[in-house]
Amino acid sequence: MLTAALRKELLLQWRSRAQFMAVFVFGAAALLLFSFAVGPVAEMLRQFSAGFLWLGLLLSSTLTLAESFHGEMENRAMEGLLLLPSNPRALYYGKAIANWLQLVLLGIALVPVMVVLYDAGTTRIGLLVLVIALGTAGLSAPGTLYAAMTAQVRSKQTLLPLLLFPLIVPALLASVKATSLIILGDPMHQVTSWIVLLAAFDAIYWSLCGLLFGRVVEE
Amino acid sequence: MHNDNHRFSRLPWVLLGLGIVFLAIGSYIGLFVAPPEALMGQVQRIMYVHVPTAWNALLAMTFAFFCAVVFLFKSDWKWDARMEAAIEVGVVLAFLLCCQGAIWAKPTWGVWWDWDPRLTTTAVLLFAFLGILALRKFVEDPVRRAIWSAVATIIAYVDVPIVYFSVRWWNSLHQLQSNPNTVSRQFWLPLRMNAFGILFLMTAFIMLRARVGSLRLKHELAPPPVPAGAIGETV
Amino acid sequence: MNGGMITGGWNFVVAAYSLTAIVLTIYGVSVITRLRTEIARSSEEQ
Repeated sequence: MLTAALRKELLLQWRSRAQFMAVFVFGAAALLLFSFAVGPVAEMLRQFSAGFLWLGLLLSSTLTLAESFHGEMENRAMEGLLLLPSNPRALYYGKAIANWLQLVLLGIALVPVMVVLYDAGTTRIGLLVLVIALGTAGLSAPGTLYAAMTAQVRSKQTLLPLLLFPLIVPALLASVKATSLIILGDPMHQVTSWIVLLAAFDAIYWSLCGLLFGRVVEE
Repeated sequence: MHNDNHRFSRLPWVLLGLGIVFLAIGSYIGLFVAPPEALMGQVQRIMYVHVPTAWNALLAMTFAFFCAVVFLFKSDWKWDARMEAAIEVGVVLAFLLCCQGAIWAKPTWGVWWDWDPRLTTTAVLLFAFLGILALRKFVEDPVRRAIWSAVATIIAYVDVPIVYFSVRWWNSLHQLQSNPNTVSRQFWLPLRMNAFGILFLMTAFIMLRARVGSLRLKHELAPPPVPAGAIGETV
Repeated sequence: MNGGMITGGWNFVVAAYSLTAIVLTIYGVSVITRLRTEIARSSEEQ
């Protein structure tokens, strides 16, 4: 049930990969704009590079998440999906995982942009990918739930970020801190603690949102 | 629907009166009777309204969470009205809290905002619950509106301790000293009076606002009235 | 200096207390007004 839902989501995303390209360009443009805000001072840009990366990722995620229920809204396919015997939980996790994978890819794609614009390279690539994976998972879980709600509402472009941004503050803080430590150096080995915080946030919200999703889409 | 939040019809007014009295007396004592504190001088008196506001803001949000959970289990409209009331009152108190915090911070730390974990968590909470109020404004179907805002309230409330700990941690790397927001025992009288004062006011507000919500729901859910003229007649 | 004591904070204290009173009053009035409107509307419909 979950694999079927997941497979369908991934197929849909593969078909709309032009959309992914567009979001990537948006993210990269955001990173560029952030440097204009700070000024061409290499050392300062490097200090804030982690923050810029995650802000860029956060802004891009609103586009990705909003799109994820677009198909259902177009053809009123949501009701059709729920009439199938598969439960809403499978629908939720399928979408959330697909969104997550898209965001991880986006995050990884933006790293070279960050490296170039802010001189923010690192050798600890594996750790960076782990932080990106955990951080985007924190965005995807509540984001998918809110995307389902706001897809059916007018003014959805404003509501989704309005609801999501305050909620994911802990994930944002932890991701930025961890990424910053990876790029700038971590003499006191604090990265692990932030990663644990991220993992806890993910565990809580992936279970809670899955539990509540059924109520959100019931008729 | 029976008990559309009208049950104890005089109670809110009594609480309103009591609240005003307690708050007035507590504030008077805090302002003119209690001695100034050793380090902070007169500025410390702000604590006599700030701390009670903080307790009650958290209480309002906790009650909102409670109403959200009860509503999801029982699907009884009065809990939706109560939740909406608690969220609105909580937002007002949280906003007030942030302003008081800034007014306290400026003479104390020299800046309007010092990223104190409690105050920062309040700010995040404020935005989260404002978002839920916005959600309610934009969803027209009452059933969906109620269920979705209940879900959002639960999700936001669960986040509160997580936000607090992450901000505290994040801040501890820069700030070595936490804010001396504690109040020593000799100053407890104005604090307690104001705490009860705001508690009574808050309860009254929530009860009255829940009534507003219930009346609006009754209006929304009622079948449309049959027009005076028969179908086909021009008006 | 004053040994670390903050002086002249009365303006801020007054600001904090008056803000509290004003916000609570305005909100209270708005709730009561809305309640009156709703009661008037519902008795009108009956």
